[in-house]
Amino acid sequence: MSDEIKTNPTPAGAEPTAERSHLPMWILVVLLALLYVGGLYFNQHSGWFDKQVYSPYGNAAELELYQPKSGAAAALAAGRKSYESVCGTCHGNDGLGKPGQAPMLAGSEWVIAKGHNRLAHIPLAGLSGPIQVGGKDWNLSMAAMGVALSDTDLANVLTYIRSSWGNKAGEVTADDIKAIRASLGARPQVMTHDMLMALPE
Amino acid sequence: MKNGFAIFLTAFLVLVTSWTAFVLGPQLQLGRARQVAVLNSSDVYPTSRPGEAAQGLVVYRANGCAACHTEQVQQDGVVCDVVLSSAGKNPSVVSNLLATLKLSGITEEAALAAGDKITAAGGKVETHIIPTGPDIARGWGLRHSVAEDFLYDNPVQLGSLRIGPDLADVGRRLPDANWQLLHLYAPKSVAKDSLMPPFRYLFETKKIGATPSPDALNLPKEFAPADGYEVVPKPEAKHLAAYLLSLHADVPLYDAPFTPAAPAKP
Amino acid sequence: MTVNEKQIDTSCRVPLLVLFGGAALWLVVGSLLALAASLTFHMPDKFGDCSWITYGHLQPAADDALLYGFCIPAGLGVALWIFARLGQTPLRGALVPVVAAHLWNLGVLVGLVGIFAGDSTGFAWLEFPRGGSALLFFSYLLIALWALMNFSGRREGGTFPSHWFLVAALFLFPWVYSTANILLVGWPVRGVVQAVVAWWAGNNLVFLWTSLAGLGASFYFLPKMSGRPLHSYFYALFAFWTLLIFGSMRGVPVGAPVPAWLPALSAMNSLFLIVPVIAITVIGWKTVRDATGPECKGGSYCMIEFGFVAFLLSALLLVTSACPHFSRITQFTWFGTAQTQLQLYGFFAITMFGAIYYILPRAVGIEFAFPKLIRVQHWFAILGVAIFVVALVVGGVEQGLKLQDPRVAFADSTKTMLPFLRASTTGLLCIVIANLMFALNVFLMIAAWKWSVAKTVFAFVISPLSKTEVKA
Repeated sequence: MSDEIKTNPTPAGAEPTAERSHLPMWILVVLLALLYVGGLYFNQHSGWFDKQVYSPYGNAAELELYQPKSGAAAALAAGRKSYESVCGTCHGNDGLGKPGQAPMLAGSEWVIAKGHNRLAHIPLAGLSGPIQVGGKDWNLSMAAMGVALSDTDLANVLTYIRSSWGNKAGEVTADDIKAIRASLGARPQVMTHDMLMALPE
Repeated sequence: MKNGFAIFLTAFLVLVTSWTAFVLGPQLQLGRARQVAVLNSSDVYPTSRPGEAAQGLVVYRANGCAACHTEQVQQDGVVCDVVLSSAGKNPSVVSNLLATLKLSGITEEAALAAGDKITAAGGKVETHIIPTGPDIARGWGLRHSVAEDFLYDNPVQLGSLRIGPDLADVGRRLPDANWQLLHLYAPKSVAKDSLMPPFRYLFETKKIGATPSPDALNLPKEFAPADGYEVVPKPEAKHLAAYLLSLHADVPLYDAPFTPAAPAKP
Repeated sequence: MTVNEKQIDTSCRVPLLVLFGGAALWLVVGSLLALAASLTFHMPDKFGDCSWITYGHLQPAADDALLYGFCIPAGLGVALWIFARLGQTPLRGALVPVVAAHLWNLGVLVGLVGIFAGDSTGFAWLEFPRGGSALLFFSYLLIALWALMNFSGRREGGTFPSHWFLVAALFLFPWVYSTANILLVGWPVRGVVQAVVAWWAGNNLVFLWTSLAGLGASFYFLPKMSGRPLHSYFYALFAFWTLLIFGSMRGVPVGAPVPAWLPALSAMNSLFLIVPVIAITVIGWKTVRDATGPECKGGSYCMIEFGFVAFLLSALLLVTSACPHFSRITQFTWFGTAQTQLQLYGFFAITMFGAIYYILPRAVGIEFAFPKLIRVQHWFAILGVAIFVVALVVGGVEQGLKLQDPRVAFADSTKTMLPFLRASTTGLLCIVIANLMFALNVFLMIAAWKWSVAKTVFAFVISPLSKTEVKA
């Protein structure tokens, strides 16, 4: 093949031509080898298209591992998550409440009260009837939304609302919730304003 | 490929793939992004830039600042530190245990294991998440930059050359508007070896009137104007300084977790 | 030269003169702007009193003048001529590409003035404001359409490898440029998506378009000038596919503030680019290996060969800089600038010089005024780009190593760069001289052609009327 080309070079002035010898196998092998190496790299470093995984994290599991878990910081994070999924629809993720649905929690005297006893009874037993929150009159009905949450979860939620949006009140522990749940019994009566005021702070 | 249509089809298919991966994909993932929650806080991030700072972004773009400065912090890795928050009922047992464990610069799994050991001995621990990397070590940022940092910027000025330092977090590092203005007018007056040209056209040298202007720059002798003259920043300079002060990337997020330093006790 | 060939060359004459003339002008303007930008590092204080002479205005203008002012029109002109020659079909309706080329030059002017006036869009390689970019887009469409019409109406059937590369390049620019301008300037996308689109467009324009257009020209001129057939059709097909696929799927830098899959995808495809580089090396090597044609004496053939080697080096630099360990050092440093300059000037511009020096005398029918200057220009260009690239590659790596070490103060990393920047300024000076020589030859040829046209018209006007034309 190459001898033919040597004796028949492209004549001067004519347009160039391309000879038709076949592609050698070795370059395809190189391509496959690189595809394999590249695939390994992508598997380790891409987070498989997860939009929250940034380098240096390699995947979603690693990112989740490095989220704060211990201490007050983690409790707040967990409390925020639970709050936004359970309470936020009515009370608002910004804690400002929604007219006709639920009163505000930001600055609410029931939330920032020194003791957490009255506050904790509300999600564990429910609340209905007229009540004043932040100078406004409310007369709605709230189911016992906290019954389905564990002691730790509800404690985190209450700690979260007591320290967010400008509220500055103390934390609520899982033991506190456990005690109140026990005292309320299996089918607690729905709270009213007067029943709450009868409780110690 | 014998004919033009085959070439066209090839090129079209390849470009559609490339467009899907780099234009459509990111737009679907990030194009309708909203504010996200700050870790361990009820705040949302980012907040949009105040008016002056937004105008400052226009000045930043028009003057090509992104040709020399980047606005993206890089992070090479992440380590954990285990910190004792309470010694519990058996302080001596706990302190003996602490002496045997490696508690600093370790992976999260090692931190969890160490934390379990200490909790079993009665103590309480906190794990601190610490980003690592030369940018972090230099103080250019507290964590790597993420998409949320640029949510409200138009145009996004990430930059690609570090002829000057990174600016992603410069509002936290250099929060003094006066320093920024001095640096713009005469970079060498505040940074001895700076290669940055002076941006004197953003300022006005005018005769001192009845009283000196409150905005006048307080320049060292070799950069000060002639006697009887003062250097006053034009609105562009003030807006640019406001923009630089608004550049923060210092809150922990889900996709960029870190443990912020505890605020100083009052 | 057959009569047919002369017809083909002459049919392209005026579009090529406008395209190459404008390209030469913007090349000189761009390199002068780049030189001025480089000088701002050596005497920063002198550049502080007017916004037009700050680095942030000069450098983007220089970059855009090189890419849009020189590279794209030169590539379009060479593509027009190669299509006409390969298809053995003269270019018809040359007025349209001529008007389009003038519009293109207007667009570049509007764009550059816009950058200096502060209307830059803020995205690297896409800084032209709306007016300029719209003019560029529409005039490119016209010229590309004319080239494609010539291609589809060609007498000589079948395709040669250059066809694939050039058709792909013709198609690539309008798609990428319009998408980028619409999504960044027209109806801007939100937040960091802008940066991703800008990186994608930058890669496709600066790397992929110039690679396709430049290789299309190289694969035509290497076999033609060496008198050997191109080795080989299937190698070139393989190189075309792999270059197009892998070259278009990269661009996002490692460690960027975007989800990790984007830089990972980009790095992976940058690694795969080794395959087309190997294929293209083999093509070039085997095509010219047994050539008995022109020796390298500083003429067109030498330039095409140098450009080809420069492409291989530039692509290798690109591949290395995408490797995560190495990119950590070289990102945000002058290394990237060096690689881009090697691609745009070392490879593409020098290949275009070789092509233009070959094409213009044949198209216009006049020889260059200073043929010996071509060799001098060739050596200045090579010297300039070599100094520039070597200085900034070495300097960039040093700068990167210092940036990676947090114990080194930032000011030290900039101080380290100063001697390398001085060397790069010297390289730019050589490039300016080379460009001036190129422009001189091209402008003198334009002038000579205009003079010959004027003489013909004048001769016609004063020629005595023949007896039959005079009425009694």
